[in-house]
Amino acid sequence: MIQTIKLVYSNPKYFLLASGIFVLMTIGLLILSEYIFLEPYVVAHLPSGSELGFILIVTLSALSALVIPMNIFRIKILKSSKQKMGGGILGSIIGNAAGVCSCGPIGFAVISTFGSVGATATAFLTNYEIPIRIIAIVILAVTYFTTVKSLKIECNLNS
Amino acid sequence: MNKKGVIIGVIVVAIVVGIVASYSSTPSETVNLDMGRTHGTISTAMGSPILGDPSAPITIVEFGDYQCEQCYAWFHETKPAIVQNYIDTGKANLVFVDLAFLGRDSPKAAQASYCAEDQGMYWEYHDILYNSQESVDSGWANSERLKAFAFSLDLDMTLFESCLDSEKYSKRVQYNIQQARNNGVKGTPGFFIVGPNEQQKIGGAQPFSVFKNILDSMI
Repeated sequence: MIQTIKLVYSNPKYFLLASGIFVLMTIGLLILSEYIFLEPYVVAHLPSGSELGFILIVTLSALSALVIPMNIFRIKILKSSKQKMGGGILGSIIGNAAGVCSCGPIGFAVISTFGSVGATATAFLTNYEIPIRIIAIVILAVTYFTTVKSLKIECNLNS
Repeated sequence: MNKKGVIIGVIVVAIVVGIVASYSSTPSETVNLDMGRTHGTISTAMGSPILGDPSAPITIVEFGDYQCEQCYAWFHETKPAIVQNYIDTGKANLVFVDLAFLGRDSPKAAQASYCAEDQGMYWEYHDILYNSQESVDSGWANSERLKAFAFSLDLDMTLFESCLDSEKYSKRVQYNIQQARNNGVKGTPGFFIVGPNEQQKIGGAQPFSVFKNILDSMI
């Protein structure tokens, strides 16, 4: 497993990509979930009882940053099929969607545009935010292990 | 001549009955709205009664939804310190204006708060709603539960039920939602700190330190 990670991330391009995904996704989700506020000035705030949500955001971002560059490596370097990339993207999208607080500007825009359908959708994403994020993490973890396995076989790495 | 007399008599009786009926309605049903009440750019005429000293130099206008979990967080995490340090000391007051958009029970809950206001219990009802919040549209703020909250506050249930069932304050809530849109509020909770010479917008359930910095700069 470590060999596989070394193989991919020894290339600075993939390391940079992973770092970029992690930083952007973490900050983006923390802003959307109202852990970070930009106005009237930048401030971070972790209300009591929301620690689990914070940990899930960081885990989700870290897994996305790990899985997505590995899959890009597989596709670009090894010319593999794009099929397994789907898990990483799907997990990230599901996790991001759950992070959209229905009280916030995105939820407000969705509800204003789509009316009761939008309200039902955002209510679902808000009410089941934690389970949805856990599902996204499971999808990303499964994608990670299958990607590592496939890289080992395709690159003829010894475990 | 006789017919004329009967008609005049009926009209007089109708007028007398109308006048008596209008005076006999209980004072608790009367709402004294100051239609000219504004704070900065916001018309708060249809908002909540003022919490704190009405002549305080600073007004905090909160746009909120009773089903919003961030509003719940602000209510429990930040508001108590603001009440203690600024509202109870007469430095600021607070007005709540509904931005009831999250689910089908949100406007109903907002209307119920004004039905409680009819009986002088707005803030008590407001507090009970934020203390009882559960998931959006999970039934915690349906009509039956809203009536149960009123019952727990010992409100006159006949008045409250007739107010809630008739949707007496539907337009008031809609007016408040429009105020939020007019002032560019794009989520809940949203705040305007309105001082003597300026107003500052705060979006989201921000910590007490942010409010403290702005409030202190205006005092």
